[in-house]
Amino acid sequence: MRLTRPRRVSAPAPTGPVTADSTDDEAAFDTPATEAARPEPGIPGGEPAGSGTTGARAGSPAEAETRSGPEPATPLGEEAEAGGRVSRRSPGGRPRRVAAAGIVAVLLAGGCGFSYGAHRLRSAEATRNRALTDTEATARVAGEIDNALARVFSYTPDGTTTAERSARTLLDGRAARQYRELFARIHDDLAGQRITLSTKAVRTGVIELDGDRARLLVFLDQTSRRGDGKATTAAAQLTVTARLVNDRWRIVDIKAR
Amino acid sequence: MPRAPRVLAGKRPRPLTALSLTLALVAAGFAAWAGEDWYAAAHDDRAAYAAQRDEALAAGEQAVQNLNTLDHRDLDRGLDLWESSTTGELREQLASGRERFAEQVKAAKTVTTARVLSGAVTELDDRAGRARVLVALRVTVKAPDGAKTEKDSRMLGELTRSKSRWRLSALGQAPVGGASAG
Repeated sequence: MRLTRPRRVSAPAPTGPVTADSTDDEAAFDTPATEAARPEPGIPGGEPAGSGTTGARAGSPAEAETRSGPEPATPLGEEAEAGGRVSRRSPGGRPRRVAAAGIVAVLLAGGCGFSYGAHRLRSAEATRNRALTDTEATARVAGEIDNALARVFSYTPDGTTTAERSARTLLDGRAARQYRELFARIHDDLAGQRITLSTKAVRTGVIELDGDRARLLVFLDQTSRRGDGKATTAAAQLTVTARLVNDRWRIVDIKAR
Repeated sequence: MPRAPRVLAGKRPRPLTALSLTLALVAAGFAAWAGEDWYAAAHDDRAAYAAQRDEALAAGEQAVQNLNTLDHRDLDRGLDLWESSTTGELREQLASGRERFAEQVKAAKTVTTARVLSGAVTELDDRAGRARVLVALRVTVKAPDGAKTEKDSRMLGELTRSKSRWRLSALGQAPVGGASAG
């Protein structure tokens, strides 16, 4: 968190390690595509060779039965016909049934594969991240966070209470704790040295937006003035983590970049 | 009914056939539905847009880092990388100023490395193949005497997609204290 302190105007603070989010995102998106192609080779090969060709025949078992082969039906009555069918079924019926089962298995496996592929695609990190894909939500979170940062990090020597009151509604979690600690430390100096600070978000980019959680990169300009002295403007880069609580974006963490 | 057993024997395959037919139909229906579902997911515009966004960001971060990295001992490779990371006007600028710049760096004997701290895409026109990115960067310059200086900078980059690759077409520092814009 960067606040202009009484003595020094925002020297670049050391930061933690970089997280190469973007490359991860890309990798995560790539996998579903290859994943989706997987059902093809996964076709159950458990059946004996040529299950595909027998499959064509087995597709219409009922038809085959009524025609009952090339032999002309003997006019000996039902009894003979039924007996003939029974005896003929044993050599041809088993592979047919196996083939039918194979087809069903193939269809089921294919369906499962497609379902899994669709699920992978939908839950891929790239798709879940709605930054820019949902323009309205993206603009909203960016606007609210810009506004929050400006309110929380702008004050006059007499008016830190406004900033602190804003902080109570706009900050949460770690960000709120840090802010309170910082203000407790510098509160007296601020008034003593008559410091005025105004903060403005110059550029804001939404890195990640997933439902009620967002991460943003914000470029800030912070203009400060001591007493009647000259105003100096310092640049600050922050990554802000925000959470949507009661339909309002609240800042839960701020990291100086 | 003396004939009943025979009739039953003759008809026995029927329920089995009907069952397997139903089963096959259900399986086919399921496969068709799942296939269509997968197709829809794979051809979802939003997913494609999201993928482009992530590609643009990755390419933008890498390009910004490349353009802030240069070792005086290996100038040619570094400057080749600059050119391959860029396109359009920026590339022409770099190419035309290359000789002069190389001499300067050779004389200064500096090693410049950069680390991307964070980056975000602010605009993306998927059809036109244009995007804008913000990149927070830490640049470290090592002088010949071993002294290191670190500087944080915030860059605004414009990317243009050509041959399905995103490259930087403009790059500059975000102005401090200037007029604000989105």
